[in-house]
Amino acid sequence: MIGAAVLLGLLVATPVVAGQTTQQAVEESLTCQCGCGLTVHSCNHIQCSSGEPMKEEIHRRLAAGEDKETILAHFAERYGEKILSSPTMRGFNWLAWVTPFAVIAIAGLTLVVVVRRRVREHDVAPPTPPPAGDPALRARLERELADLDRDA
Amino acid sequence: MHDLGRLAVCLALVCSVFAVLASVVGALRRRGELVRAGEHAVFATSGLVILAVALLLRALLAHDFSLAYVASYSSTTLPTQYTVAALWGGQQGSLLFWSFMLVLFSTIVLVQNRARNRDLMPWVTATLMVVTAFFLGLVTFIADPFERLPQPALEGSDLNPLLQNYWMMIHPPSLYTGYVSASVPFAFGIAALVTGKLGDQWIRTTRRWALFSWFFLTLGNLFGAMWAYEVLGWGGYWAWDPVENAAFMPWLVSTAYLHSVMIQEKKDMLRVWNMVLVLLTFSLTIFGTFLTRSGVISSVHSFTQSGLGPFFIGFLLVILLASGGLIVYRLPGLRTSGTIESFLSRESAFLFNNLLLVGIAFAIFWGTVFPVLSEWVRGVKITVGPPFFNRVNAPLGIALLFLMGVGPVIAWRRATAKNLWRAFAGPMTSGLVGAVALLVMGVPFGGAFLTFAFGCFVMGTIVQEFWRGTRARQALLEESAPVALSRVIGKNRRRYGGYIIHVGIVAIFVGIAASSAFQIEVRETLEAGDEMTAGRYRLRYERIEQSEDGHVQRLAAVMSVWIGDERIAVLQPEKRFYKKPEQPTTEVAKRTTLREDLYLVLGSFDPKTGLVTVLAYVNPLVVWIWIGGLIMAIGTVVAAWPTLQERRVIATDAAVLRGAERA
Repeated sequence: MIGAAVLLGLLVATPVVAGQTTQQAVEESLTCQCGCGLTVHSCNHIQCSSGEPMKEEIHRRLAAGEDKETILAHFAERYGEKILSSPTMRGFNWLAWVTPFAVIAIAGLTLVVVVRRRVREHDVAPPTPPPAGDPALRARLERELADLDRDA
Repeated sequence: MHDLGRLAVCLALVCSVFAVLASVVGALRRRGELVRAGEHAVFATSGLVILAVALLLRALLAHDFSLAYVASYSSTTLPTQYTVAALWGGQQGSLLFWSFMLVLFSTIVLVQNRARNRDLMPWVTATLMVVTAFFLGLVTFIADPFERLPQPALEGSDLNPLLQNYWMMIHPPSLYTGYVSASVPFAFGIAALVTGKLGDQWIRTTRRWALFSWFFLTLGNLFGAMWAYEVLGWGGYWAWDPVENAAFMPWLVSTAYLHSVMIQEKKDMLRVWNMVLVLLTFSLTIFGTFLTRSGVISSVHSFTQSGLGPFFIGFLLVILLASGGLIVYRLPGLRTSGTIESFLSRESAFLFNNLLLVGIAFAIFWGTVFPVLSEWVRGVKITVGPPFFNRVNAPLGIALLFLMGVGPVIAWRRATAKNLWRAFAGPMTSGLVGAVALLVMGVPFGGAFLTFAFGCFVMGTIVQEFWRGTRARQALLEESAPVALSRVIGKNRRRYGGYIIHVGIVAIFVGIAASSAFQIEVRETLEAGDEMTAGRYRLRYERIEQSEDGHVQRLAAVMSVWIGDERIAVLQPEKRFYKKPEQPTTEVAKRTTLREDLYLVLGSFDPKTGLVTVLAYVNPLVVWIWIGGLIMAIGTVVAAWPTLQERRVIATDAAVLRGAERA
């Protein structure tokens, strides 16, 4: 279980899509401003006035030796943070990333504690007596037993 | 005629409010005639809403442009099928359509329960009609589909070209069916809380409704993905747009419910939790409608935005407060006797399955609302897009896939080392063989690798279950293998239907992982006779073809597709230019095989130079997502099919009713 958790943790830390080029990775980290709601990489509007120049600029900057972070910082400075297709991992935005896992972890731990307590309660509890059943039936049973005693 | 439509809506609103009042007063004062009057008012509401829908449809088909709605969402050149679809293509029509489905389902519920659940029914009626009255209130006072224009328009402005697709006929009705039918388990849940009849009665009654709603949510989501794949032309099928998320969240919670309800039925546990899940599923359907309609969160799917947001938020708050309050009030009655005996048990696996399903729903909810939160707290607009959702949900989804292999075969109550080995030796071998095969094939370690390996593990558990069930019948009853297999499914449809659904889910997981991780994308600018390569395909641009009718102008690039020296297909990706409103759209051309899709998009065409820009995607295994959906549909039908015993109960109910009617 712990091994599986570590593996999954590693997955979170690594990009989901294998074999991406840097150009594609940068394009997918930026949101197209034409209103399509897609990333710069996914927008396929004909001669998109936002996506196409951005793709060219990314290409130019990569060719000039800039890395992904520098290019993203440049675009964020020019257009504001909304151009980044996912929140940064700094300041308030950090909450966006951490909260889902924190909530699931807390809920999971609570679940473990509750289940453990229930299991312990079950293990120490005496065997439950057979159900009492219908009170009328029980009264009849007792009456008949008493009759039997009397007969005996 | 329009006034008749408006009158029908207004009267339907009055009838639905009367149904609420009569049912509640009838139930509180134990007056059967009032309860029956409430039920009759539901039938009247249904009739009136059906009349209103028929009148709006007639106005659309007759191109009656004196109605603002007809003029806004249709035109004389719009093909008939899209004119019909315009009924739910705009704000006002879609709200009326929602009401229409709700009254339809309410009527079916009332007819089904004429002789059953009589103690719950007044509250079920009241709850369903509160929801109906809310939607009819919006249609009456805020979003009137029968509003007249001061001067009739000469021509309509037409349906959004993106919606002019055959999926428009299929996807919204499926999703609406899933959304709206979630009201039925919700109404029974509320009725159980109000009456204090918190046992399994309401759960048994709504089992098929919950499955029905879940099934249509599944279809709605998958159809939406297929539509996006075919129309938007960016090579993918899911963009984690807020409205897509809104449709996915209730599906996740509903899936959690379908699992945890089994624990309640078998072990008398989780009554509170199941109640919460039913209420949450319904609340999320309203939240989804709020997202689509309010424009609070920008979405490419918000084809119709308006000021309806506050009404939906208000209604949502009322639902959450009322149902939350009822749950707290009934907490003592919701406590159950069942207990959990071990961590290594099916109960425990189901609990963690629920944790992950609801956890994923929460992660999606959080990502969807975080931009709003950021704007409130920091005053800064941010975007939470696909990279966030993929990164957060991929590990959770893979963990869920793993649990899907554990849950069905781990023992109830307490698993021992011996029965764990017996249950998991086969599936683990299957998973390990799969992992080794992937390594041999050179698949890099990552999300896709784990998905495939866990997929093999899950398939191992499912095949083993079918195998063991069939073998047991063969050994005991000396049946042939096909007969034994069909009877083992027939005798326990719910369980084996569930397994079939799991096979479908594995196929979907594999399709998503492969097409996300190993997609090939090539973009080239070509002149006639030029070639490009995408994966194993060689593509030659032959020529451009143009055509035009009164409605749309088409521009198609004719592309020959070769594998090696063999020409295997001619594909024609298109650009379309709609005339009303003037808007270009993309028509993808694709060649689908079980192995991969070749997916071509015409990026641009320069009439001066004759150059075209073509985007070619090779999407591995993507068709398995749709095949998985089909398998899930088959599994759902198997799981929902009534057993012999249930058919007898239905027949007895009908006989009782006939007797009562004769008397």
